[in-house]
Amino acid sequence: MKPPLHIATPWPRSPEAPAVLSIERLSKRFETNGAGSVSVLRDISFTARRGEMICILGRSGCGKSTLLNILAGFIAPSSGTVRLNGQPVSRPGPDRCVVFQDDALFPWLTVRENIAFGLKKRPMDRARKKSEVERFLSLVGLTDFGDYFPHEISGGMKQRVSIARVLILQPEVLLMDEPFAALDAQTREEMQNLLLTLWEKFKHTILFVTHDVGEAVLMADRILLFEKDPGGIREDIKIDLPRPREKDERRFFACYRKTMSIINRL
Amino acid sequence: MTETASPKRLNRGRRSQAGWLNRLLPWAIPGAFILIWFVISETEMVPHYLLPHPKDILATAATYIFGKAGNGAYAGRFLEDLMASSFRVMLGFSLAVVVGIPLGVLSGRLALVSRMLNTTINALRAVPGISWLPLAMVWFGIGLKTTVFLVALAAFFPIFLNAEAGARQVSPILLQAGAMMGVRRLRGTFAILLPAAMPSIITGLRLGMGISWAYLVLGELTGVPNGLGAVIMDARMLGRIDIIVVGIILIALIGRFCDLGLNQLLRLSFKSARRLQ
Ligand SMILES: Nc1ncnc2c1ncn2[C@@H]1O[C@H](COP(=O)(O)OP(=O)(O)OP(=O)(O)O)[C@@H](O)[C@H]1O
Ligand SMILES: [Mg+2]
Repeated sequence: MKPPLHIATPWPRSPEAPAVLSIERLSKRFETNGAGSVSVLRDISFTARRGEMICILGRSGCGKSTLLNILAGFIAPSSGTVRLNGQPVSRPGPDRCVVFQDDALFPWLTVRENIAFGLKKRPMDRARKKSEVERFLSLVGLTDFGDYFPHEISGGMKQRVSIARVLILQPEVLLMDEPFAALDAQTREEMQNLLLTLWEKFKHTILFVTHDVGEAVLMADRILLFEKDPGGIREDIKIDLPRPREKDERRFFACYRKTMSIINRL
Repeated sequence: MTETASPKRLNRGRRSQAGWLNRLLPWAIPGAFILIWFVISETEMVPHYLLPHPKDILATAATYIFGKAGNGAYAGRFLEDLMASSFRVMLGFSLAVVVGIPLGVLSGRLALVSRMLNTTINALRAVPGISWLPLAMVWFGIGLKTTVFLVALAAFFPIFLNAEAGARQVSPILLQAGAMMGVRRLRGTFAILLPAAMPSIITGLRLGMGISWAYLVLGELTGVPNGLGAVIMDARMLGRIDIIVVGIILIALIGRFCDLGLNQLLRLSFKSARRLQ
């Protein structure tokens, strides 16, 4: 509706961008101890295009983490397929990297070693690996903290390390499960900006789970609104605000209100 | 990867200011103990044939350790006894490690293995080590094999149980993180599982090492010709209480030394042992 505004968008994802991740009729049931099974996801289908930032928004327990775990290959779906560039995926791999909500860094490795971890077995000469590690350290603003251990840095810094250690592997898709939920408001805002900057630089496809509607409106090209019992996509909301987005702009606020009203209608 | 000014290092500098206290503190209890012992002996509150004077103990120890062989019953035997005992402990302990750690880690990660092993191991664990002694003597005779068997058996349980608990408690999220970064199962075991379980594994090894010395003495009490346990038993029959006390003190010192040595060795060999303690 606001075509001229797209000019301000530095990285417009055209609707014709190729599909990277396609989810086809995905369902997941968990066997419960004793009595039968519980259906968590039912018949989910959607496609993520190259470079798209999709936020997954939904109430607690509607299966957002379950979906991400299936996409990552940590658990198998009960039915349906996940395709990455047309190929079905079934196990974890560096083409679909996860940034966990909780700290999942290796505590016996320094920040620098954590970032270098995934490169270890790559066919790449030492000097190149080293310079890559330094580059990503500086991209997430941790140049001075390379020799620190995870328990010596703050929560926000840990998430920076978590992001750097997967970005260095050049994944097709970045899966983020409430990565900033445990941070204070100011740090969260910093991290959102950092992620947006990195996204514009590398143009990854990102699936970003969040509880925070404001965060979703700030980040997303599309918001997938999940519903509960059983989990499914209730709405697919396009957010065509120009970037960079400012939280105190009227357009942002209008969009936020619109999204809220859709959520409240559920 | 250079390790420059990490906060670890800074702390170490600060700690050295309180260094004298830290260095003295471990000796406070032994020191007080010896002092009380000295007073008791000087005032003859306890007769010397029950508790020898520290001076006499020192003299006996000197003869036992540095004396020329032949100058008295126990003169100069220490080195031979030490070698014999250490060899038995190391052999038994190594057996316990080689079996205990892999089985423990497998049992901690694979429900099938844990189901298979748990009943047996917990039943065997309930049997006091000393009740194996008669059986071991029948099976292996008196000497090296019996002692090594007892040491290995006793050290196995703490090593196995701690390796199991450590492996079980490794957060699945760490293994998932490894998997998504392209680490397959075998490499993940060495690059993630073992380092993450290392603190527990070390606890098990240290407990196992401690109990090894206890069971060494038990095995040697059965009448082997050499070793620290043999000396103690021998001295009891000859009524040489001073030698018994010297033996006890030496075992305590050696035990502490082994613990420190083991810890140091692990820290030298494994990054995670250095960093997760
Ligand atoms: N391994 C499992 N076995 C049985 N039920 C499970 C299992 N994992 C998740 N569930 C159930 O699936 C439902 C969805 O869980 P999930 O963690 O995906 O929710 P979520 O949307 O991520 O919630 P939150 O916003 O709180 O993180 C929950 O009701 C949960 O109890
Ligand atoms: Mg969740």
